[in-house]
Amino acid sequence: MIPACRLADLPRGEAHRLDIDPPVSVFHTDDGELFAIDDTCTHQDASLADGWLEGCEVECPLHASKFDLRTGAVDAPPAKLPVRTHEVVVEDGMVYVQLSTAAPNLPPCISARLAGGPA
Amino acid sequence: MTSTSLPDSLIATLPGSSYTDPAIFAQEQERIFETMWFCVARASELAKPGAFRTVDVGRESILVTRARDNSIRAYFNVCRHRGAKLCTEESGEVKRAFQCPYHAWTYDLNGKLVAAPNLTKMPDVGRTEYGLVSVAVREWLGYVWVCLAENPPSFEEDVIGEVVSRLGDVESIERYDIDNLSVGRRITYDVKSNWKLIIENFMECYHCATIHPELTEVLPEFADGYAAQYYVGHGAEFGEEVQGFTVDGSEGLDRIPGVADDQDRRYYAITVKPQVFINLVPDHVILHRMYPVAVDRTIVECDWLYLPHVVESGKDVSRSVELFHRVNQQDFDACERTQPGMSSRMYAKGGVLVPSEHHIGAFHDWVNERLGLSQG
Repeated sequence: MIPACRLADLPRGEAHRLDIDPPVSVFHTDDGELFAIDDTCTHQDASLADGWLEGCEVECPLHASKFDLRTGAVDAPPAKLPVRTHEVVVEDGMVYVQLSTAAPNLPPCISARLAGGPA
Repeated sequence: MTSTSLPDSLIATLPGSSYTDPAIFAQEQERIFETMWFCVARASELAKPGAFRTVDVGRESILVTRARDNSIRAYFNVCRHRGAKLCTEESGEVKRAFQCPYHAWTYDLNGKLVAAPNLTKMPDVGRTEYGLVSVAVREWLGYVWVCLAENPPSFEEDVIGEVVSRLGDVESIERYDIDNLSVGRRITYDVKSNWKLIIENFMECYHCATIHPELTEVLPEFADGYAAQYYVGHGAEFGEEVQGFTVDGSEGLDRIPGVADDQDRRYYAITVKPQVFINLVPDHVILHRMYPVAVDRTIVECDWLYLPHVVESGKDVSRSVELFHRVNQQDFDACERTQPGMSSRMYAKGGVLVPSEHHIGAFHDWVNERLGLSQG
């Protein structure tokens, strides 16, 4: 499990981005639920933590693709592929993320970089 | 033609080229419109966060919007990335951000850069540093005023001071409670004339008896040719038989409660250089904003403002609006008739001002001073 942040430092309606590769973000919804998904929109390289959180959905700030935080599914295009979801655990006021072992769906340029191509 | 001496009754105007030379207009844009306070919009047009309006101020496009905290913000309407025009519509509403239609650089309502493709790979790009560049904003009389200067001049001196020098004090305009009036009507005029012809026209009343029959019926003293703007604190009195400031002198709308007894049945006119005219009558306020777009073209936006309940109840304001709408049409026709003469060989050295127009000479001195020209 990866420590993300203190729960007290993540108010409702906000997101915390973990600068790992690929990056992951933890969202604290207005209803008080915590979700973690891959931070990068599957359509083009943009941080979903910089996007707009509404209910259990996050909207990408670039082209308004929407993802369901519970399932990672695409709720609105232009993204086609889902983001991965990760398990969130809170212990002693700390938020931890248990990374998914599935393969991530990353936008083309990031996939190329992870594969050793030009960034 | 070499004579420079004029009879005592006359003083010279600006030369014709001042109204026709694009190079002079460019200097005016730079040294007047881009450095002074410029009235861009009625604050109520930006009804809620994300509502926006784009306006040209001098040579710049300016984006005016309302942020989440309800404050009004104004930015250069230019993307920080490659300079594309950020917002192309004249007005509208965004949900939460302005996005450049070229590469999707995205700015929140406070101007901060919130997203861009691959931005997370460029952690050294400051989100504020590369946010939209803001310009100074003030709200006064329910209008949004912006100033593009890096160090804006004092709003109190330049804007409020103009009103005080005309009316004698600021309370005289505050009594009309213009902030809280509602727009009953807005008419936009596309005038094919230089902006200075419109200002000069507004400043004098030598033309009133000739081109404004309806206005002169309501304000008989205008037949003397001395504009309300000629004397400090003077308001032109309604004619004895006149019931209200309407096209036929019939009764107007409900009087603005704060208007003092000595302001009742009077018309006051104020020019706030470089582009605002304010007219005060007991039951409404007429506010003109000029947007000079070319040396020979000026857009004029005119608002008729009434008590909120007058507008909400759908009362008939047509006779009230019609009076000054006619005045506007009569004035702008005159300005359009004058514009071609500005490039006549005969007018190269300009024309003359009669005594009731001599105060326009001070306006000309002011223009020359702003442009750094010696008076000549």
